[in-house]
Amino acid sequence: MNVIEIRNLHKIYDGSEVKVHAVKGVNLTFEEGEFAAIVGPSGSGKTTLLNLIGGLDQPTSGELLVGGTDLSTLKPSALIDFRLNNIGFVFQSYNLIPVLTAGENIEFIMALQKKARRERDARTLELLEAIGLSDRIHSRPAKLSGGQQQRVAVARALASRPKYVLADEPTANLDGKSATSLLQIMEKLNHEEKITFIFSTHDPRVVKMARRVITLEDGCVVSDETRNPEIPEK
Amino acid sequence: MIASIAWKNVWRNRTRSMTVISAMAVGVFAGVFTIAAMNSSVVQRIEEAVDIELSHVHINSRDFRSDHSINNLLPAPDSLRNRLHTFPEVEWVTGRIILNGIASTANKSVGVVINGVDVEKEKRMFRLHEKVIPGTGSYFEAKTRFNTVLVGEKLAKELNIIRYILTPEQMDAYERVRFPVSLTEKVAPLFGRRFITDKKFTAALDSLLTAKEKRKYGYPLREAAWSFREGSRMVLSFLDANEIQTSAVFRISGVFRTNNDMFEASSVFVPEMELRQLTGLPVESYHRLICRLEENGLTDTAVPAIREAFPEVEVLSWKEIQPDMAMLADMMQQIYGVFMALILAALAFGIVNTMLMAVLERTRELGMLAAIGMNRRKTFLMIMLESLYLSVTGGAIGMAISGIVIAATSRNGINLVKYSEGLEAMGFSAHLFPVIDTPFFIITSLLIMLTGILSAIYPARKALKMNPLEALRTD
Repeated sequence: MNVIEIRNLHKIYDGSEVKVHAVKGVNLTFEEGEFAAIVGPSGSGKTTLLNLIGGLDQPTSGELLVGGTDLSTLKPSALIDFRLNNIGFVFQSYNLIPVLTAGENIEFIMALQKKARRERDARTLELLEAIGLSDRIHSRPAKLSGGQQQRVAVARALASRPKYVLADEPTANLDGKSATSLLQIMEKLNHEEKITFIFSTHDPRVVKMARRVITLEDGCVVSDETRNPEIPEK
Repeated sequence: MIASIAWKNVWRNRTRSMTVISAMAVGVFAGVFTIAAMNSSVVQRIEEAVDIELSHVHINSRDFRSDHSINNLLPAPDSLRNRLHTFPEVEWVTGRIILNGIASTANKSVGVVINGVDVEKEKRMFRLHEKVIPGTGSYFEAKTRFNTVLVGEKLAKELNIIRYILTPEQMDAYERVRFPVSLTEKVAPLFGRRFITDKKFTAALDSLLTAKEKRKYGYPLREAAWSFREGSRMVLSFLDANEIQTSAVFRISGVFRTNNDMFEASSVFVPEMELRQLTGLPVESYHRLICRLEENGLTDTAVPAIREAFPEVEVLSWKEIQPDMAMLADMMQQIYGVFMALILAALAFGIVNTMLMAVLERTRELGMLAAIGMNRRKTFLMIMLESLYLSVTGGAIGMAISGIVIAATSRNGINLVKYSEGLEAMGFSAHLFPVIDTPFFIITSLLIMLTGILSAIYPARKALKMNPLEALRTD
């Protein structure tokens, strides 16, 4: 079942002096439960493509259906609601709310969804256990290591039970051990919750674990490879 | 959860938040306390006017205010009085004989209004008896074969009944200020000399003291030298019931001091029966009935009802008799509003600045919140709550300090003795007892909250205009 369909997608940034054609006629489909990496050199359009899929940016032309919804037809408020209920984001620099504890950061997104307190608490504990940080539920981000913060960010992205998680360079700021641990957690959650994970990355460790690798160059898809991943031993 | 995050956000930068909260607290305190002090002078003025000079309602014949002739009496005052007592708002009713006359001593003559009063009833309705200066007598308590009159200090001074005689004993006995020995030595040439006017005594002081000493000790020295000889007399002249000029000697029963120089200078009080004997006015004939209501707040409702019931006479509330005072009270309300609005506007700029800084510092975070699905309404609410918390915290502290300081100063008052001459000439007390009513506290609290909400609009709009993607790219 195709959950994301991209047809002849273009994105042109029209600056005052130069036009940048960041995404050029991309055609892709993603199915439920994929664990895919979009790779390519800097400026190849990886992050732009991810932002377009996430509804953070609007395409210049082409069609982009996420779960059957054409994001370009949604009003801004509807687009925000769509993101809240369907897409989880993991950012390169974690972006946790510093005044909230790890538990509150995870719970917050469910509060935005107006979920009941009991459900929020249960899901928060479940996710904290899944990322191995149940003992840090009351710790603020400043008291957590970079790897721990990114794990909390992943838990936050999954808290709303999204269909898709879009992760932009999630391991870029992590050491080897933390990155591997984080990838193992995401891979496990991908298996258990059938959530589609799409990464934009330079990191070979992510590429190794991805079951599908899409290579972009100069805004165009130059290869799209499905393969058996190399899951590192725990 | 949004409320909880907003509260935590307030304390991200403790120093900045504490600064703006402190500014808010100081501003609110300054505004509220200043208004309380200003308000006290107006409230005291109105209370004095009602309790000492006017009471609540005056009833006289329809043309009495333009024709003060002795025979312009109130028709059927006894029946009026009985009917007045049927109004539930009316607490007391008394009648007065009111004559225009001339008060004279050997030195001077002054035009006055002579009030013939029922001493016992007036003591229940007015507080004038509390205003008799100690040492000058009493409110018609002394037994004497003479006619008696109660006069104001200002009139007594004008008629040279009050004199100024400075002695070392008087200076020692003066309680408000302790005079230094050097000053006592300087004014020694004045000891025992009798000055018949304030002006002459002041001129004598001026020749002995420096400008600084005059500023500091001039008023207390005049107070210390103030002297009244018990048993002083004056002559009151007026027309009798036959409209024939009559004069009689009156022994001064006491001298009263209020905050209203005009009242002190123009009103004298004589027991009703003495005036009846001298004028030949019959018993139970009055020029005016005066009503005391259960409370001042009933004036606006009771007066129209009384007026409707007595179309044959003129019924006036104290506000109509002294419209300047009612206008002053209304005007002061407006001044308080403008004053408070200016303070809150100044504080609003502080909050806007703080909130703007807070929003700009959190650009990336706000971008992230928009990206993960926090809608514009919740973002606006979060920023508005932060602003509200800042203003309410500062405002609550300011109000609490104001409440404490007002409670403390309202007990002992603030003494503005240096400005007493000017203030009393305008009818205001030099001793202020700051007072604020509950509605003012409530309205100010609501205005503080409104300030917080309005102050959030610009920073919140700034936050809402952010493009999540651009905000996320911010360092």
